[in-house]
Amino acid sequence: MTQRRSLNLKLVLSVLAAFLLSMAFTWFLHSRLSERDAYKLIDSTFESVEDEITDCVDERLVRQCMAVRERLDEGYPTDLRSLQDLAREMGVTEISIADAKGDIIHASVQDYLAAPGKPAFNFRTAGGKAEDMMCLVDGFATEYCQPYRSNTANGAWRKFVGVWMPTTGGFVEIGCDGASLRALSRASLVDLFRNWRVGGTGGIVVTTMSGLVLSDYEEPNREGAQWEDPDDSFYWKRKEIEGFPTYVMIPRDSAAVQRDVLVGATAVLNGAALVFVALLVGFVISAFVRNQIKLQTAKELKMATDIQLAAIPNVFPPFPDETSFDIWAAMDTAKEVGGDFYDFYFTGSDRVLFLVADVSGKGVPAAMFMMRAKALIKSVAQTGKQIGQVFEEANDALCEGNSSNTFVTVWAGELNIRTGHVSYVNAGHNPPIVRLGGKVEYLRSRPSLVLGAMAGARYRVNELQLEPGDAIYLYTDGIVEQHNAAGELYGDDQLLKTVSGCAKRRDGLLSTVIEDVRRHAAGAEQADDCTQLVLRYRGTPETFSREYKPTMEDLAKASADLAKALEGVPADCANIMMVAADEIFANIVRYSGATDWTLTVERTRHPDGVRLVITDNGKPFDPLSRRDPDTTLCADDREVGGLGILIVKKTMSPVTYRRNNGRNILTMGKEHGDQN
Amino acid sequence: MEIKTNTDGSTLTISVSGRVDTVTAPELEAGLKFGDATQVVLDLADVPYMSSAGLRLLLTAHKTMMAKGGELKIANIQPTVKEVLDITGFSDILNLV
Repeated sequence: MTQRRSLNLKLVLSVLAAFLLSMAFTWFLHSRLSERDAYKLIDSTFESVEDEITDCVDERLVRQCMAVRERLDEGYPTDLRSLQDLAREMGVTEISIADAKGDIIHASVQDYLAAPGKPAFNFRTAGGKAEDMMCLVDGFATEYCQPYRSNTANGAWRKFVGVWMPTTGGFVEIGCDGASLRALSRASLVDLFRNWRVGGTGGIVVTTMSGLVLSDYEEPNREGAQWEDPDDSFYWKRKEIEGFPTYVMIPRDSAAVQRDVLVGATAVLNGAALVFVALLVGFVISAFVRNQIKLQTAKELKMATDIQLAAIPNVFPPFPDETSFDIWAAMDTAKEVGGDFYDFYFTGSDRVLFLVADVSGKGVPAAMFMMRAKALIKSVAQTGKQIGQVFEEANDALCEGNSSNTFVTVWAGELNIRTGHVSYVNAGHNPPIVRLGGKVEYLRSRPSLVLGAMAGARYRVNELQLEPGDAIYLYTDGIVEQHNAAGELYGDDQLLKTVSGCAKRRDGLLSTVIEDVRRHAAGAEQADDCTQLVLRYRGTPETFSREYKPTMEDLAKASADLAKALEGVPADCANIMMVAADEIFANIVRYSGATDWTLTVERTRHPDGVRLVITDNGKPFDPLSRRDPDTTLCADDREVGGLGILIVKKTMSPVTYRRNNGRNILTMGKEHGDQN
Repeated sequence: MEIKTNTDGSTLTISVSGRVDTVTAPELEAGLKFGDATQVVLDLADVPYMSSAGLRLLLTAHKTMMAKGGELKIANIQPTVKEVLDITGFSDILNLV
């Protein structure tokens, strides 16, 4: 979990870092963009401002020029001195009057007038920009303004404005130097740009050359105040227009508003997207981790179950040479690892202990307790102690440090395989079902305390006598407590009925019960482990045993002995047994190199059958490992070799071989007749 | 083991009585003499069982008769003998009647 949390933290931090980086980049980009946009706006604003100021100045000067013309029309004298006076009066620098040919006929400047040896200044021929003024004579224009520029005649800076004189067909022209130009027009520039706004909160300021405000967008009526260049909080440019220093300026804040809005909006959107992505990724990762944990847990539980299953005996028949009893057991585990087990082992040369147990609780703790209980019982039992004492010692050991109060119910019996006598202890377990002399019933006894509950508990030993053909069936409560969808339990009565129904079969009993329990469950989940064990007592067999030499005489002797030992066995069984035995005898006598060999015949009952054990001290030879001859060839291709072994394998069951103490040991059995 | 022979025209009938196994097979082998007979009937009505030692003799006899253009018929086989012949595939080779 700690790992998971730190994983989440790292994830969040890296997402946050990526987010901040992207925002910084956006902010930087838009800062540069907004600066560029601001200067673009300033430049384009200047174009309009220039036009506006020029128009304004032109209009003012045209008006002044018209006023001069008016004075002349009223008969103002036009000699040099008078015109100089008029110029001074009208606040202009010079006044010239031209006739229709473009010659200056009157002027306030001596140089323009004709003198001996020098013609008058002619607009058409003077060169430079002077000729532009002729549009008043040649065209339809009634007024014309030249831009403020360096005059060609005397090199001084002038702005010339002319108006047509209808009375003469010529025109009157005024010229203004910088000072008079500004003096005339400054009044019309006052507050000219007061209502103009540039880029939201920016504006235009027009000043005089001496730095006095004419028009200020921020504070109207500030004319005459001293102006200073804007500081760094503005994007701004300065340009002299018609001699008026003009500023277009935009506060940086205002230009940045768009950037800030953009970056803010981007941040919000990106942030939301990132949060969403982070949540999504976090969800996916945690789902993945959860799934991994689940898989790991399932794997470990599977391993626990495997270990548990491997700990209990699962090879059947467990004692192939033992004819006095059969034992079969099965454990069908529920989904979860549980605490059922069965066990069986010899506790002496003629005593075998068998048990079924159920640990309380489920899961790994129950499984571990089960392993402990199983090992404890076995280790005490194999010291050869009496079964009641085994339980008492195992119980004391299990109680030691059993803080979880887990306990185990056990039914255990110890069979004397020679006599069929069973001593048993029931530690709180379900009563087994017994078949005694053909009668099937529950073996009820007063149960003792479960194992692991209380140290020092006493365990009552009960006795039971089995005759050949009798059987005992042990199970755990998973069988009788399996319920169906309607909640009905399988129950003791149904179990007894099922066991009675297939009393004559051996391993078939266990699978029959499980199938019947499943049929009852009808799809409902298996609630608990179902564990079963059946022990069938067959009794000590009638035995014939004899040793022979590897000669044809002894082979004949062995044949005769076997024929005698098989008296009473149905003919078809006896005959095929004779054939099978003859094949093995012949092999030993002819090929084994043995110096002696033995034949043992066991007649068993319940079910009735014969088992032959044939041993020899010859070279190791496992007849079962030989490949079967091809029995489909035609007569010419057939060989006789190997057919004997084939006959043995096909007619006897079970057939086993093992090599022990320098002897080949072959067993073969066959059942016959009524199996009860 | 008892072996009786009876000739009826070109048909030779050999009746065997007793088990056929490793011990008795040499006796049977000695008794399976067909002379000039082209039709031989081996009557096994009184043979309760036969091991592979007997099978070898049956196969040899069958091949001998076929080689001289004759025929060997095996009659009245008992269940255990039949079982052995079936397992070994000899039922398909021999003429069982």
